[in-house]
Amino acid sequence: MELTDWELVQKCQSGEMSAFQELVSRYHQKVYTVILGMLRNREDALEVAQETFLRAYRKIGGFHGGSSFYTWLYRIGVNLAIDAQRRQKRNPLDFRENMDSVLEAQDEVARDPFAEVHDRELRENLVRAINELTPEHKAVIVLRTIEGLSYKDIGEILGCSEGTVMSRLHYARKKLHDKLSAFL
Amino acid sequence: MNDCERTNELIGRWLDGELSAGESEPVRAHVAECADCRGARQRLEKIEHALNSVLVAEAPKIEFAPFWRELERRIEQKPSWHETLRDWAQGWFGAPRAAWAVPAFIAVLLAVFSYESYFPFWRSRNNFATVESIDAYGRSVALLREDESKTTVIWLYQNQEGDDEAAEETPQPGPAF
Repeated sequence: MELTDWELVQKCQSGEMSAFQELVSRYHQKVYTVILGMLRNREDALEVAQETFLRAYRKIGGFHGGSSFYTWLYRIGVNLAIDAQRRQKRNPLDFRENMDSVLEAQDEVARDPFAEVHDRELRENLVRAINELTPEHKAVIVLRTIEGLSYKDIGEILGCSEGTVMSRLHYARKKLHDKLSAFL
Repeated sequence: MNDCERTNELIGRWLDGELSAGESEPVRAHVAECADCRGARQRLEKIEHALNSVLVAEAPKIEFAPFWRELERRIEQKPSWHETLRDWAQGWFGAPRAAWAVPAFIAVLLAVFSYESYFPFWRSRNNFATVESIDAYGRSVALLREDESKTTVIWLYQNQEGDDEAAEETPQPGPAF
């Protein structure tokens, strides 16, 4: 029978490395996808995902199950991604490279089902509009879109109230709507 | 707020499944009968669909084995002194631990503003309360409070330094009440 996250955490706290390995195998793809959604750069996202699990490992002794393991883990990852994104914002050259890498990535997979977003102009504008959001607004959009998390879980991850999540989502969607209105 | 405005406020939460049954029903009914709000719903769904395509489908699959090997290598490395210091500082000053700072700050403020009641011998000799500049000509306002008679005097006067400049434009010295 498959162990729950909490059972694995407890084993991990008693020093079982294999339990931590199991947790990493469960969440590495999800954590990476969320961080990539925020950073828009594959290498940076992989680095931040590694750092997320490293910090989780070092802090797991202090995790007492007050929230679910994944919200705790995402909190670490999203905070690291927000910090990394602020550093990106300070360096416009990095931003340009990020844009290129994202559009390049989309061209690579234009043959697969993800090419449902047919219009390159729409994709470019969408990526640009996402990049113009603040790290906090981008975080709510990414967590909601990729993970489909409830406002309550998003609030726990970001350390804010459900009302704040609600207003950030409303604002972020309005911004995206305004930027993409010509394509809708 | 009319029905369309109200629906526009709630439509995102409705599509996210974050409204109660009681809240959802009027939104659903209005969207069914209002072409504008139906259009708003379709645009929102189109954005969500595009977002999902761009954010989820672009993410390459990460091979677990190399990811774990690299992570294991990092775990085995001893954390540097600055990482240890950072973790310690985050433990104490990061949220939610930093919550101690808020009551501590309030306590300091209360202590500062109420010290006279605890240490009467520190009571200041005058009852001069505040002086603030109120316009661009250097005029200021002084507030004098007299506790015994419960009197407050507001005194409008001109700063010494501002006299020369302001005199040409505002030739009315002296206090005004």
